[in-house]
Amino acid sequence: MPQFVFEPVKLPPEAVKLRTEVRAFLGEERAKGSFVPAVGSMVEADEAFSQKLGARGWLGMTWPKQYGGGERSTLERYVVVEELLAAGAPALCHWIAERQSGPQILRHGSERAKAMILPEIAAGRCYFAIGMSEPDTGSDLASVKSRAVKADGGWRITGRKVWTSFAHRAHYIIALVRTSGTPDQRHHGLTQFIVDMKSPGISVRPIYNLYGGHDFNEVTFDDVFVPEDMTVGGEGRGWEMVVSELAYERSGPDRFMSSYPLLVEAIDELGRDPQPMQAAEVGRLVAHLATLRRMSTSIAGMLNDGKSPVTEAALVKDLGTTLEQEIPESVRKILPIEARGLPENSAYSELQQLSQMQCVSYSIRGGTREILRGMIARGLGMR
Amino acid sequence: MSEMRDEMLRTLDRIVEDHVTTAMREAADEKGSGGASAGSNATAALWAALDEAGMTAIGGGGEDDVAFGDAMEIVRRAGYHALPVPLAETIIARRILGRVGIEAPAGALSIAVPGAGELPRETQGRLAGAARSVPYGRSVAHVVVASEGKLHLVAVSDAVAATGCNMAGEARDTLDLGRARVVATAANATAIADLEAEGALIRAVALSGALSAALDHSLTWANDRIQFGKPISKHQAVQHLMAQMAEEAAAGGAAADLAVEASEAAPDRLAIGIAKARTGEAAGKSANLAHAAFGAMGFTREHHLHYTTRRLWAWRNEFGSEVFWQAEIGRAVAQAGGARLWPMLTGHA
Repeated sequence: MPQFVFEPVKLPPEAVKLRTEVRAFLGEERAKGSFVPAVGSMVEADEAFSQKLGARGWLGMTWPKQYGGGERSTLERYVVVEELLAAGAPALCHWIAERQSGPQILRHGSERAKAMILPEIAAGRCYFAIGMSEPDTGSDLASVKSRAVKADGGWRITGRKVWTSFAHRAHYIIALVRTSGTPDQRHHGLTQFIVDMKSPGISVRPIYNLYGGHDFNEVTFDDVFVPEDMTVGGEGRGWEMVVSELAYERSGPDRFMSSYPLLVEAIDELGRDPQPMQAAEVGRLVAHLATLRRMSTSIAGMLNDGKSPVTEAALVKDLGTTLEQEIPESVRKILPIEARGLPENSAYSELQQLSQMQCVSYSIRGGTREILRGMIARGLGMR
Repeated sequence: MSEMRDEMLRTLDRIVEDHVTTAMREAADEKGSGGASAGSNATAALWAALDEAGMTAIGGGGEDDVAFGDAMEIVRRAGYHALPVPLAETIIARRILGRVGIEAPAGALSIAVPGAGELPRETQGRLAGAARSVPYGRSVAHVVVASEGKLHLVAVSDAVAATGCNMAGEARDTLDLGRARVVATAANATAIADLEAEGALIRAVALSGALSAALDHSLTWANDRIQFGKPISKHQAVQHLMAQMAEEAAAGGAAADLAVEASEAAPDRLAIGIAKARTGEAAGKSANLAHAAFGAMGFTREHHLHYTTRRLWAWRNEFGSEVFWQAEIGRAVAQAGGARLWPMLTGHA
């Protein structure tokens, strides 16, 4: 019977050494007051902070040196990413670009795109947004209606993308667009384009989230020109690109660490001598975290070996986002916030409430729980 | 995976095919009579086959012994097959004895649960007190017992004071240690904590095997069972049940691996606690999911699913429940403070 295997991965000595360096850097930055730990991993955006990481060679670490990379292993990158998340560092600016857009451009982009864009991402200066969803297209991604038509030297895109995170500050958007056929033809005739956000015809309108935060946007394309060499993977391979991109998007520690800073705050709020059921709840969450970390490291190992663990990534994301949603729920049971003062009085209360409001999005962004479970069922041979 | 490990697992599968029948399982768990003693009991032939294949002589850590990770794979596979014999107990008892320098006797062994009842007292080479819930106590010749600062190998002979079973029908007996003969004693400062942790380790590893079995049985069933004109595996609701079972099985497996890896030289209580807590939680969820998939059929005695699900429920209670280990982890984390959690998780100060 098919089952999923998460082979153990031992971090190489250079990754262990790197961890010490990253941890020391983050400790110094925090001591200097350059950030306060935040929940959500993608909430705080600080361009200067991203550039500091770039200057240390901690962005695009696995990429070739000719494109600004460090030619280091996926496991070293994994260590940097998880240290950033554990510290609640303000790493939003470069996050999408470094996690998935850069790797996709490296694998499937033109020489010009690679040379122009990758060194800038690695320097912490170039940010991306992902243009997948549309007003009538959420989980059913193949139904996109945005269209590109051939033009002299490239393509012209018309359409609308929604719920597009960070588009208001991104330099580029990778948009999934129909280049031939009709939405009935599903996965055929789709193409991914790298679109410069400064292009004439693009407009960005904020879509505020439920607590008033600005992450989402609506991005409208009105006859926007994109040069021929700015596709990812070429014409008609959009669906294939999306699938391989999702292995990057779903597999990382950002899919189970988002509420980690709240857990840390709760542990301190609990004090040294918790009641047995309080201790047990903390212990339960820690057991989940340790297990997920092992599974996620294993996926980093698979990526390092050149595999594309799409189903395994879906499985870890579903388990991981479940934990991210359980953390605010668990801590409110063992540390009721009413008794601990309002947000302005307590870092714990503030984080708990913010985390509570944010965490509903975790099992939606990057693929809903229901889509992921369908993928797992397919991996089990049921579909 | 090593050649040797593959070969051993294939051998175990073959033995199961040859010796494990429903009639045998029923006889074994009717009165908790599964076990290891040669003679008339239902599982004697199974044990003899395991013995002949050398599987009851591993774990001691001698020069010719299999790697610890391989020994734990045997425990996992025995859990997968829901074997009603003290194979895991024998393997781990041999490891514990090997570590303190006591020569392990041949044959079936078991270990006493330090957390069950009062701790045994030792005075001048004799033990007093009761060891409760000893796995297969009535059918093994020797049991490993911990007292304060010491580890003992005792001969059970006529020390069985009461017999009982866990909910999977596996013998869990009470020994009157005053009636047991102490065969050997070794000073061991961490005897109690280590014995408890080693017990939790084999239960966590066996649970991870049983989680895989629950998933396999459920998948087979879902592909075969027709309702509404198609296999129930084609219904989205059932697919989502199976996806969650696959997640729990994968997480349980990873947690057990983590504990095995950390405990190669000696039991690592934190890692084992994580594994026992996670596999125990997965066990409860998976048993419910499996029964949801099987419907009424899974609730019958005649169907084999319960050999696995009753073990999922029973094993998560033994050698410390989830809450026992969660609370231990939680106390350690609280005492260290929030900032120490991350270094603790990454194993790096």
